[in-house]
Amino acid sequence: MMKKLVCLLLILGLTVPLEGCWSRREINELAIVLAAGVDSAPDGEILLTVQIARPSSFGGGESGRSGVAGPQQNNLWVISQAGETVYDAQRRLETKVSRNLYWGHTVILVFGEQIARQGIRKAFNFFTRSPGARETIWVLVARGDAKEVLNSHSQLETTSAQGIGAMIRAGVGIPVMLKDLSLMLAGKGINPVLPRVELTASGTPQGPGMKENIPEAENEPDHGTQTHAEMTITGAGVFNDERLVGWLDMMETSGLLWLAGRMKKAEITFPSPNEPGKDFSACIYRSITKIEPFYDGQNIWFDIKMRMDAELWEEQSLEKITEPRIFTAMEESLTRRVEQISRAVLEKAQQDYEVDIFGFGDVWHRKYPRQWPALKDRWNEEFANADVYISVQVHIRRTGLTTNRVSRED
Amino acid sequence: MSLFFRKRKKHGPAGVRSENSPGNSKHSYQSLTFSPDIDENMRLLRECFENCSDVVFREFLFAQREQIKLVLVYIDGISSKVQISEQIMRALSLEVPAATDNTVINKTNALHYVKMRGLCIHQVGETEKLQEAVEAILSGDSVLLVDGHATAVINGSRGWEARSVEESKTEIVVRGPREAFVETLRVNTSLLRRKIKSKDLKIESLTLGEVTNTDIAVAYIRGIVNEGLVAEVKKRLAGIKIDGILESGYIEELIRDHPLSMFPTVAHTDRPDRVAANLLEGRVAVFVDGTPIVLTVPHFFIEALQAPEDYYEHYFFTTFVRLLRIGSLLIALTLPSLYVAIISFHQEMLPTPLLLSIAAQREAVPFPVFIEALLMEIAFEIIREAGIRLPRQVGQAVSIVAALIIGQSLVQAGLVAGATIIVVALTAMASFVVYYSGSLAFRLLRFPLMFLAASFGLFGLIAGLIVIVAHMTSLRSFGVPYLAPVGPLIPEDLKDSFVRMPWWAMGKRPYLLGQNNPVREASGMESGPPGTTAPKDGESNAGRGQN
Amino acid sequence: MLEGGKINAWQAVFLNVIMVSATALLGAPAIMASQAGHDAWMSALLATTLGLPIAWITIKLGSLYPGQTLIQYLERILGRWPGKALGLLYLLYFTHITSLMVMEYGSFLVDVFLIGTPITAIVLISITISAYILKLGLEVLARTNQFFFPWILVSLVITFLLVIPEMDLTRLQPVLETGPAEIFKGSLAPLAWHGEIIAFAMIIPFLTKPGQAGKIVALTFIFLGLIFFLLVAIGLTVFGPGLANMNYPILNVARVISLATFFERPEPLIVAVWVTGGLIKVSFFYYIIVLGSAQLLRLKSYRPLVLPVGAILAALSITVSASTLAMSDFIAHYWPFYALFTFEFGFPAALLAIALIRNRGIKGQ
Repeated sequence: MMKKLVCLLLILGLTVPLEGCWSRREINELAIVLAAGVDSAPDGEILLTVQIARPSSFGGGESGRSGVAGPQQNNLWVISQAGETVYDAQRRLETKVSRNLYWGHTVILVFGEQIARQGIRKAFNFFTRSPGARETIWVLVARGDAKEVLNSHSQLETTSAQGIGAMIRAGVGIPVMLKDLSLMLAGKGINPVLPRVELTASGTPQGPGMKENIPEAENEPDHGTQTHAEMTITGAGVFNDERLVGWLDMMETSGLLWLAGRMKKAEITFPSPNEPGKDFSACIYRSITKIEPFYDGQNIWFDIKMRMDAELWEEQSLEKITEPRIFTAMEESLTRRVEQISRAVLEKAQQDYEVDIFGFGDVWHRKYPRQWPALKDRWNEEFANADVYISVQVHIRRTGLTTNRVSRED
Repeated sequence: MSLFFRKRKKHGPAGVRSENSPGNSKHSYQSLTFSPDIDENMRLLRECFENCSDVVFREFLFAQREQIKLVLVYIDGISSKVQISEQIMRALSLEVPAATDNTVINKTNALHYVKMRGLCIHQVGETEKLQEAVEAILSGDSVLLVDGHATAVINGSRGWEARSVEESKTEIVVRGPREAFVETLRVNTSLLRRKIKSKDLKIESLTLGEVTNTDIAVAYIRGIVNEGLVAEVKKRLAGIKIDGILESGYIEELIRDHPLSMFPTVAHTDRPDRVAANLLEGRVAVFVDGTPIVLTVPHFFIEALQAPEDYYEHYFFTTFVRLLRIGSLLIALTLPSLYVAIISFHQEMLPTPLLLSIAAQREAVPFPVFIEALLMEIAFEIIREAGIRLPRQVGQAVSIVAALIIGQSLVQAGLVAGATIIVVALTAMASFVVYYSGSLAFRLLRFPLMFLAASFGLFGLIAGLIVIVAHMTSLRSFGVPYLAPVGPLIPEDLKDSFVRMPWWAMGKRPYLLGQNNPVREASGMESGPPGTTAPKDGESNAGRGQN
Repeated sequence: MLEGGKINAWQAVFLNVIMVSATALLGAPAIMASQAGHDAWMSALLATTLGLPIAWITIKLGSLYPGQTLIQYLERILGRWPGKALGLLYLLYFTHITSLMVMEYGSFLVDVFLIGTPITAIVLISITISAYILKLGLEVLARTNQFFFPWILVSLVITFLLVIPEMDLTRLQPVLETGPAEIFKGSLAPLAWHGEIIAFAMIIPFLTKPGQAGKIVALTFIFLGLIFFLLVAIGLTVFGPGLANMNYPILNVARVISLATFFERPEPLIVAVWVTGGLIKVSFFYYIIVLGSAQLLRLKSYRPLVLPVGAILAALSITVSASTLAMSDFIAHYWPFYALFTFEFGFPAALLAIALIRNRGIKGQ
């Protein structure tokens, strides 16, 4: 009996590792994809661009630190491939990439402008369905081609993908994860807004050997590279369901976030009430937005109350802000500026684009669930015609280390 | 295939010996007794101890007038020469009885006088059987033959070179008694007696081993221990039929509940305070002559995490140390498997910078992680075993060699990644935190777990852990579940498992052991500044009013 | 005596909770959400309430025939041959759902983590481990469960806590938008899960104090209600009604965890603990199949049946379903009716009625 048991165990035990352990993947059999970009290619195909990390240049431990003097290596490999679908493009990439593409650490997904205008739904189902890619990937839209944007490096982070990821986490622009995108597309009460990314001239280049990807860089072999190109978040892209219809700049994006009640922190500059030409800068660190929808069977209108707390960071004028009169004037100036920005973005959304990007539809739906089914298919029109009353109240709660300017003459 | 399953030829029943084995000669002399003729007795003894050059036959005369012949037989080396010379020979030659009451000593009363009035030795017995006399001589006692009597007098004259009581080499404490058991049974039981000065501490003797005739002592505290347990222990011990018992480990393997499991279900220690504490909780201890290691049963797994020091130091600190020990045990068991599983299957669990750094390290390494980890683990086991056996002088140099060469150079040569060395080193250090024997099973088990982790990732590891836990919960140590108080959950006993509650909170003995006598401590023992505690029985309130 | 082991009340509670919820963890929230949308959390609460009668029937039957398991008192109620026939049907039912369970967990592992491993290997390993635990006995199963159950709870709670930054309670509104009919439909599947408590009838005789069966079941249902509710509610607040389209919603919830950019993507660790629960559930059902078969055939010990039943289960698991889609379809739409009307509620209710009538008849005489 014991013998039989031992034999059985031996057979089981030996075949298991002998089979090669089917789904085991060694780290150096993986091509770690840090960023992915989707563009549209001719003939209705899809161009997939991936930013693959090159571990040998990362220098973990002993091997990397020894040789430093030579030209800085590119620690990324950016490669593109066209295919009928994203998965098809990935399969064709496998004919060029010697390792398995590994999506588990992908930080960002960038849609090219062209494919965004055509409709993004055909571009990202692979990422939600595949177990390798994660729902927490940050999604962005590029001005121009995603391919160009991905072909860049970062000065401070190891890769440009991680640079953008860090920036989004810090609160720059509007943070959208893949799962948020799915949610926004699934509901009729809100339309997606994705942060816009592009390469801009950003200071001195990294090293003599590194090439940069913008025309200003002037990558001449004898002059060397002139400027560094860093991935920058420059605003947001407005989508009508799945199609890109327009852009917002950074200030308008802040306005959008305030109106939608999703703001974390924002900087705002407002003019001095008494000294024209001079500005104040404040940081709004808390904002509470109450959106109240109304419906009388015919007309829809919204009442939006925003209450914000700000901290004063910079004063260019010489006013005495400890005086209550001036302080109140300051707060009013700040309030006006906030209102101005909010109205600007609201107008843009209602009149230029006619798209509800704030999620007012969802709020209205929650209050009038029975009337929603009738309106939901043409909600964007209803939204464009709705009246929105904004009332803003901003208080400056803190003023940093000083109250009046210390350099003020008395 | 039929070769595999053919039954082996059965041996004859255990214990049957061939004609020439030494045990057989027992049959011939078991029934022999002494005769009054001293020369005949001497001849019998000489025949028994033929070719034993260390057996001494000392003839001398007693009683001045009658000149009765006495023969003292002892083994040089295990009998105390001082006692023999002073307390037997000199005492007998003084002839005190004759001097005081004028009775004549003759052949008929010689034995009585020798035994009761003549000998000055501390322990005497008598026997008529040859076998008992021989056994006595072999134990170090000396046998006195008196001419004209068929009875031999056994004198307790044991004494031999032995190690003195020193500090324990394997269980070291910072705070607490430093004594450890030695190889002599009587010294060990004396150390125990000094700890438990109760008449209920019963120490029963028996002999095991057909050839070695090793002395065994079974100790327990009547009134606390479960009588059934004692009976079971004695029954199992009595069932042991083996040539020789050289160490308590022999007994351990022969009395276990689960002979095939690699987890020890019998505890062993060389510290008297540990044995005393175990007895006070309702366990039974087995002493074996010739080894300082004493067995205690029943044994819970949790005892491997308990050190004697835990009960002497402050409870916050020892709770922390206990949690550390559990963590170390888990690390020693699972860390290499976790490492292999994460690197091979679940790379998404690592933060991206760490992943890239490890990926960079692994670019140079030719092996898959699993092979690399396996090789390093085996290398470390080799180093560890070598470290135990090394002669002291060579030890230092070799450990430097091991650390530097193997660690440093392997990484520089690019054969092994730095991360793997760290993992292996951590595992090794963790396995030292728990006392040696408690961790042996886990040291071995990490290899199958590594195989499973390399095949199925974290799920293989979990599957392995489930099997291990299932196995451990099914073990019993003399009827008591091995994983109590966690396996069958006994909340009161948890006070002394992962944490150690203060002494005033642990008022009851462990549930499964101490049902005879559950309470070991009066309740309400928590102390405080004067005036805050209720007066205990008999205490007066004197001195409190002045606050 | 077929089984000498005894389990105490807490072990029974833990065992029951795992027995019901281990596979519910995987697919139940999606099924509920597909019917009831963002009101699915009400379906969960409704299911727990509706399941109480089934629990009551189980205990009542157990108290009418103390010391006997379901298979044994089937014969007492219905007579020898009809009882044996129904017993056989019950065993076949248990075998069917056990093989489904093994397949569910196997698919889960292979889909998400061990891509490329053939399911056969996973099935074989699960059945082997279960067989080993069975060989050691019911007590060992209960104790092993006692060991791992707190960790399963802890990992669930940690998942829920860590996901709070991603939760948005407004996704649960507007409340009651889907009609009560949908909410009721959504509660059928979890009700069928709760109905698996009928398997408890097989181990009531082995409690140290069989009289505590009522309290055990009450406590079990409290746990179950909490678990089902949290599963759906958390899933809905993180993902909204899109939950209905996910194969393994709770996995997606775990994947969203991100704590200080350091503890990101920890889901293999969290999920591994749940897989333990799945294994124990399979072992439990495997055990009652083996025990029941041994009682049906009046054997002295159930040990010889362990390997044959294991082989049948393994073979069935591999072939029971054509695809994951077919399997989840079956579990969502057909299994509730199949289970509830017959084995979980229909038969036990009828049996109780017959038993009461018989007893009254006997007492009357």
